[in-house]
Amino acid sequence: MVKFERFELDNGLRVIFHKDVTTPMAVVNTLYDVGARDESPERTGFAHLFEHLMFGGSINIPNFDGPLQEAGGNNNAFTSNDMTNYYDVVPVQNIETALWLESDRMLSLAFTDKSLEVQRSVVIEEFKQRYLNQPYGDLWLEFRPLAYKVHPYQWATIGKNIEHIEEATMEEVKDFFHTHYHPGNAILCIAGNLELEEVKRLVGKWYGDIPAREKKVRNLPQEPKQTEFRTKTIEREVPSDLYTYGFKMAGKGQQGYYEADLISDVLGRGKSSRLYKRLKKELELVTEINAYVMGSMDPGLLMLSVHPSDGTTLEEIDTEIWKVLEELKSTPIEASELEKIINKVKTTKAFSEQGVLNTSIALCMNELLGDANLINTETEEYEKVNVEGIQTHAQNILQKTNCTQLIIKAKKNDE
Amino acid sequence: MNRTLAPKTSTVSHIDFQSPEIITLQNGAKLYAIRKTNDETVRIDFVFDAGSLKTSKIIAQLTGDLLLSGTHDKSSDEIEEAIDALGGFNGVEITKEKAKISVIGLREHIVSIAETLVDAIMNVNFNPKEIKQLLQSKKKKMAISLEKVSTQARRAFISDLMQNSPYGDLVQLEDYDHIEQSDLIEFHKEKYLKGLKYISIVGAIDDQDLATIQSLGEQFKKEEITSFDYDYSYSPNNIHIEKDQAVQTAIRVGRVLFNKQHTDFIKFSVVNTILGGYFGSRLMTSIREDKGYTYGIGSGVAQLSETGYFFISTEVGKEFKDLTLEAIQEEITLLQTEEVSKKELDLVKNYIIGQILEQSDGAQAMMDRFISVETFGLDFSYYDDFIKQVKEVTAEELKELANRYLNWEDFVVVCAG
Repeated sequence: MVKFERFELDNGLRVIFHKDVTTPMAVVNTLYDVGARDESPERTGFAHLFEHLMFGGSINIPNFDGPLQEAGGNNNAFTSNDMTNYYDVVPVQNIETALWLESDRMLSLAFTDKSLEVQRSVVIEEFKQRYLNQPYGDLWLEFRPLAYKVHPYQWATIGKNIEHIEEATMEEVKDFFHTHYHPGNAILCIAGNLELEEVKRLVGKWYGDIPAREKKVRNLPQEPKQTEFRTKTIEREVPSDLYTYGFKMAGKGQQGYYEADLISDVLGRGKSSRLYKRLKKELELVTEINAYVMGSMDPGLLMLSVHPSDGTTLEEIDTEIWKVLEELKSTPIEASELEKIINKVKTTKAFSEQGVLNTSIALCMNELLGDANLINTETEEYEKVNVEGIQTHAQNILQKTNCTQLIIKAKKNDE
Repeated sequence: MNRTLAPKTSTVSHIDFQSPEIITLQNGAKLYAIRKTNDETVRIDFVFDAGSLKTSKIIAQLTGDLLLSGTHDKSSDEIEEAIDALGGFNGVEITKEKAKISVIGLREHIVSIAETLVDAIMNVNFNPKEIKQLLQSKKKKMAISLEKVSTQARRAFISDLMQNSPYGDLVQLEDYDHIEQSDLIEFHKEKYLKGLKYISIVGAIDDQDLATIQSLGEQFKKEEITSFDYDYSYSPNNIHIEKDQAVQTAIRVGRVLFNKQHTDFIKFSVVNTILGGYFGSRLMTSIREDKGYTYGIGSGVAQLSETGYFFISTEVGKEFKDLTLEAIQEEITLLQTEEVSKKELDLVKNYIIGQILEQSDGAQAMMDRFISVETFGLDFSYYDDFIKQVKEVTAEELKELANRYLNWEDFVVVCAG
């Protein structure tokens, strides 16, 4: 049971306080309700580029990292398709340094040309390092537009292409800040061995005078129901083929999400999962096979990732995968198999909530989903899933017309 | 309120290191336990003298990966199923120096999970079909990894730097084609059944469960571990690996140095932090934040059981390779010729001590800190000494250390891409 308190400032900033007496560290976690899905299709990669710019100095403080490091702390941030999250971990006696820094960059950035120019280059190198210079690195750049025709999940957080990052202007940067970076669009979590009254006083002191701005209503184009099987084959300079399947499923917090998550575990999480046992151990058709869910907030994807064995064909692997999927649809799973999967979920959850930083991030994300207390009720939601629920949702999700497939073929050098 | 003024800060004055319980098993191996935790999670590591230095090439890795591959009366599926059913997860980490077999789970199930694991390890029969499947998947994974310029640079760097010791002896793709079942059986018999080094437990288990895990450990033998005595001499070198299609070049630069047993290690750690050991380091500031050549650059001291090596590592746009090498040299020269300012030094000292506090936060972190000194025959007083030396070190000493240990002509320089 994770205990926490909630309060809100007049300017709309939502604050969560989690008291942890066991740690000498404090966490200041700030989640902004903006992600790559909020970008213009003409300027993708912007939310992530902006995350980099948040470290380029704020209106009153030229350097973000230095003072925090001097206080014995460290910080980082990440951007997803749904949101952007910044965290600072600092010895508890120096928590005010983190509040000072974070509140100032919520108030306003410095917007220097140098920062934009350098971070533009850094992000371009990040694009190369992670998406272009790795075997299969461009998988998501190819898969997303195949699976999503309308919804902005059709691009990755890094962006559709390098040009969009190259062309970003300072005016767009300022505009993005004004629209998305303000108290009403943020969730702040403070955690550590502190008292609520002290936290209220400090947060009031540093954030209280940040002007409120109106929260932009999110109105994203919703992806229409997929009604046809989509497949695409590309050739790349890779040592071996990779097959990727994606099935549309519920978003996090939506009806059917937990069932879909458990279905992915039944199919392909770990060495006792169905696809692993059948395709790898029994038939030796693959050297690796995994299933997982993307965990996005808008309708997402249940993914299969398949490394075929040498000398196999796509047809025979595809046939066997579908046999496993059809079996899950036609025959209810044993209660013991469901219990096994739920036990693994419980263990994963217990470990993922260790430490004050993980807990703070999880509280903010759950608050974004609607209620920070979901952190405490999530396990019950998984436990409520029954055998029928698995079967019904498997029937809905694991359909050919709901499937997108990307085949990456190894380019043969001698051809 | 004047927002330009930083709030007052204070330096961490004291870190409370909690030693684990230490139990000596009948076979002489140690069991370390931290049982004061505040959740239901438990992690157990069984550590064996089964690292890859103790055998040729991939035998150690394969043996480790096959530990749960089945016994005379249980198939691999049955073993995996049994652990999964209890919500357990297992992991195998084979390094040059040791093999760490871990299980995690919730308190109510952890003993059963550990019993399943130990039975599997004791009685594994190295079924040829399992060996064949593993070889196929390992070989494929390695082929993929070898495509990465970062892998190419790292491999070339370590094999050149450690050319006279087995640390430099790397697995090659064709090694996967020459494996005999008998090699695995023999290695397992010598280094697992007789090779338990220690067990560590983090989690709030009761005395009875602790006793059960202790007796599981006592099923193994512990033979005297022979120490290594290798030749760590090397020659400075310049290596370039060409890869046409690459859009970035991976760079590794470094030299053989020392591990934490050396008297200069702690103060050199401060030099390393300033140069490339944190986000605000000089290399990050120059090469990422000022010039934008890379997404990241860092340096560190890798620690081996008898020595260590210093390295700088980055991936930069192909067109920035030479400029990056120049910039790295500039930063090193600067450390050698100009004393670090008081402002920078104070920042780095506070940062380092704050990070030790964070790295000791929580039971698992405390166990990790303990193991990382225990492995080198040291104890928690090492950290007290660490904090003391970090607080005391002067700019003059840092400059002297940079001159002693960071000479470009002593470096192996590798570029791939």
